[in-house]
Amino acid sequence: MADEENSPELGPEKITPEQNDVHADRAKPTTKTSLLQWMEITVSEPEKRTNASMKMQDTYIVYLIETRVTDENMKGYSDGATSLWRRYSEFELLRNYLETTYATIIIPPLPEKKATYTWQNAPTDKFDPEFIERRRAALEVFLLRIASHTILSTDKIFMGFMQQDNGWKDAVYSTDFQSKAESKLKAISASFRLRKPDRRFEEVKNYANELQTNISNILKYRARMADKLYAIHKVHGNYARVFGEWSCIEKDMSEPLQSAGHYMDVLASSIDPMLEEEEHFADQLKEYLAFSDSLRSVCRKYECVQYDLERADDNLSAKAKERDLLVQGKSPGTFSLSGVKSKLFGSDTPEQRELKIKQLEEQIKQAEIELKQATQETQLHVQSALKDIERFKRQKTKDLQEIFTNYAIMQIKQCKKGIAIWTSAKDCFVKM
Amino acid sequence: MAEENATPHSVKDDADLDSSPTKAADENVKFRDPLLSGFDHESDDDGMESLDLNASIKSDQTVSRSSSLIANFKLDEDADAETKDLFIVVDDPEKHTSTLESYITFRVQTKTNRSEFEGAELSVRRRYNDFLWLRQRLEETYCTHLVPPLPAKHSLKRLDRFSPEFLRVREGALQKFLTRLADHPVLSFDKNLFVFLTAKAWEFQAHKKQGSGIFSRVTDSLHNMGASYMMKNRPPEFVVMHEYIQTFGEKLGVMDRISQRILKESTEYLTELTEWAPCFMLWANSEDKLKSGLLAMSKNIEECCKELKDMIDSTEDDFAQPLKEYILYTESVKGVLRRRDAMQMEYDMIVEELAKKKEEREQIKTSDQTYSIGAFLGKDPEDVKESKREKLEQQLVDLTQQMDMLNDRLVVANADLKADMERWHINKQRDMKEIFLNMAERNIQYYERCLEKWENTVRDIHPRNENAEDGIIVSS
Repeated sequence: MADEENSPELGPEKITPEQNDVHADRAKPTTKTSLLQWMEITVSEPEKRTNASMKMQDTYIVYLIETRVTDENMKGYSDGATSLWRRYSEFELLRNYLETTYATIIIPPLPEKKATYTWQNAPTDKFDPEFIERRRAALEVFLLRIASHTILSTDKIFMGFMQQDNGWKDAVYSTDFQSKAESKLKAISASFRLRKPDRRFEEVKNYANELQTNISNILKYRARMADKLYAIHKVHGNYARVFGEWSCIEKDMSEPLQSAGHYMDVLASSIDPMLEEEEHFADQLKEYLAFSDSLRSVCRKYECVQYDLERADDNLSAKAKERDLLVQGKSPGTFSLSGVKSKLFGSDTPEQRELKIKQLEEQIKQAEIELKQATQETQLHVQSALKDIERFKRQKTKDLQEIFTNYAIMQIKQCKKGIAIWTSAKDCFVKM
Repeated sequence: MAEENATPHSVKDDADLDSSPTKAADENVKFRDPLLSGFDHESDDDGMESLDLNASIKSDQTVSRSSSLIANFKLDEDADAETKDLFIVVDDPEKHTSTLESYITFRVQTKTNRSEFEGAELSVRRRYNDFLWLRQRLEETYCTHLVPPLPAKHSLKRLDRFSPEFLRVREGALQKFLTRLADHPVLSFDKNLFVFLTAKAWEFQAHKKQGSGIFSRVTDSLHNMGASYMMKNRPPEFVVMHEYIQTFGEKLGVMDRISQRILKESTEYLTELTEWAPCFMLWANSEDKLKSGLLAMSKNIEECCKELKDMIDSTEDDFAQPLKEYILYTESVKGVLRRRDAMQMEYDMIVEELAKKKEEREQIKTSDQTYSIGAFLGKDPEDVKESKREKLEQQLVDLTQQMDMLNDRLVVANADLKADMERWHINKQRDMKEIFLNMAERNIQYYERCLEKWENTVRDIHPRNENAEDGIIVSS
């Protein structure tokens, strides 16, 4: 069974191991199952814009979104190359639309609005260039994930987001997606009052909660570790200064001390690029942390659907019961409206009763149809959702394995750097 | 020594050992990490590894003896090596428990051609307090010589006085102390040292009780501090020494503070890292395919924690502690310099006194004693003059004698101190080099070990049967 969905490489343009091209060539199917196979999408060049509106100045960042068709045969399906500017709030609009419209799909999350799990030197300001750069990279990943999804990538609004400069917002609102969003109240009722919730979605919910807790902890400690590691390296820089001062009162040891001091400075400044790379690792984990929300969202939507199904079922049962009671000649309960009516005004005549039974039978037929529909819909919903959950799981395993591998490789690099610096320092000390 | 231990067979084994991790890495990992495949083992590592493997089989005793010998040989690097005739080795720590206390003794072995050692007991056991006593006596006896330092009595980090690491470090420092004494042209002939090296246990205890040196220590402190400040005509070489020691001591202090800060931050980093490992393990509980990768991360982080802890401990033992002891040593050098200044002060004062008296004598010759107290009391003015003159003459003789004696003492002290300072500078250079070399090597070792662990993790994150067909990897 061929894998239908194809998944994008994690991370921004910087990391592209050679083997990716090899795999891409080898695994290209004959039919295009996702946008990403024939289109290149980039998010770049963040710029500051200012709207001088009535009272306040609205300053915000826009990102350049470019697309380019990479497969000759598909040229007809899209313009050759496009580019336009979008700001973060438009990304949010796109995501809200997708989330409401595709209730069975785990929608990729957006990068965080505010910096979280920061350490002393990490940028927290929205307009800090480092923060903006990391956001840009995450936004690109967001689009690529959508573009690689078999279903999501065909959405017209999504295409419009990337290619339609004017009138896109109107197009989104005209789909009236907001009305399809489940009310919060319903969602809460649904989660509490289901009689027969599908165990599998319960498990997914639990998993999402655990995932959130686990990743939170990892991010929390990583931030603290970054703090300490930063301090350790910078304090080593103080050796450089004292070596310099010491070398002034020495003869033979003077030069070696000064050279060694230089390497202490190198050690102190080596931590900055290292920690920047580590931020990337943290960002990738943060994406999966946000994915836990997407998972819970899909579970909630299932619960609403199941809720509707159970209500349809309840409705049918109620109507059937009512009819049965009428047929047996009993009025439905002494305290019901009709019970009171019959007490006050006398029971129905046989003709009235026949009429009522006929009406009920109509209603029952209707309810049966509705129940059948609801059952079918629910089944399809469950199928689709579970399928996407499986896709997500596979993607997640692959992504996280890669994230951890890259982290390990990064550590290896750091160790090698440490060895190099200390070996140079050692060579200086040898000459003392 | 490496040749002794490594047979041709074991070297070959090591060569196999070295190549196989790389091979295994290649087989298990689907993708080729350029960082991994570029990894080569230098031939030096083969030699090092075989030495380690064999050493671990031997008993602790043998290892400590060989390490002491190595320590001894290392210090022989200067020209004195040919003239050395007194070799001392400290090893074999043993715990003694009595009703009152428990303590450690070390074996002190002496090897020499010197005649006074003939027939003497050449292997004794001594405890730290015995070393302290010896040093105290030496400082009192040779107040213008530099007496080598002892390791600190207590280590702030290591609370267990009986832990093998603590004993190893202490043993090395005691070894250095005795070796430096043995190399000293004057101190090595000291009687107290002889007793220390040769007396049996009860003999030694008896000897220790004789004579307390309390009085001489008291005259040391305040009096000498004052003297140093007023020093005007200090010989230039001692001016240089004073300034050098002052600045050197300061810089050592700064380095000590830096290393303490680094140790503090490193310990806090270790705490966080220790909390990090279980996060991955907990996560593994809720995963299926990802389980092995997460467990690999967790295990690796735990191992890195161990490496970090080792490094922190040995930085404390082999860097921070020696640095602190050198600071104390610097203080004791300052003390010796002050004592020399005090001697010079005494001498200078006598010279001044002598000049004054000579002046007085000249004055008396031409003075008129008519109105002196003696004349007032009825004596003949000429007699008064004569008696005063006699008294002065006597004083001059006494003072001249004193001056000569002090001058001799000063000249000797200056020569001693100058020679000792030169020796001190050479030792200091060697010691500093060793301290910093060790620090660099320890760091290198730490990174090398962590590097190995992370390489293993890369291999372990991807279980063997995982294939990459789950998706196209697209470059963005």
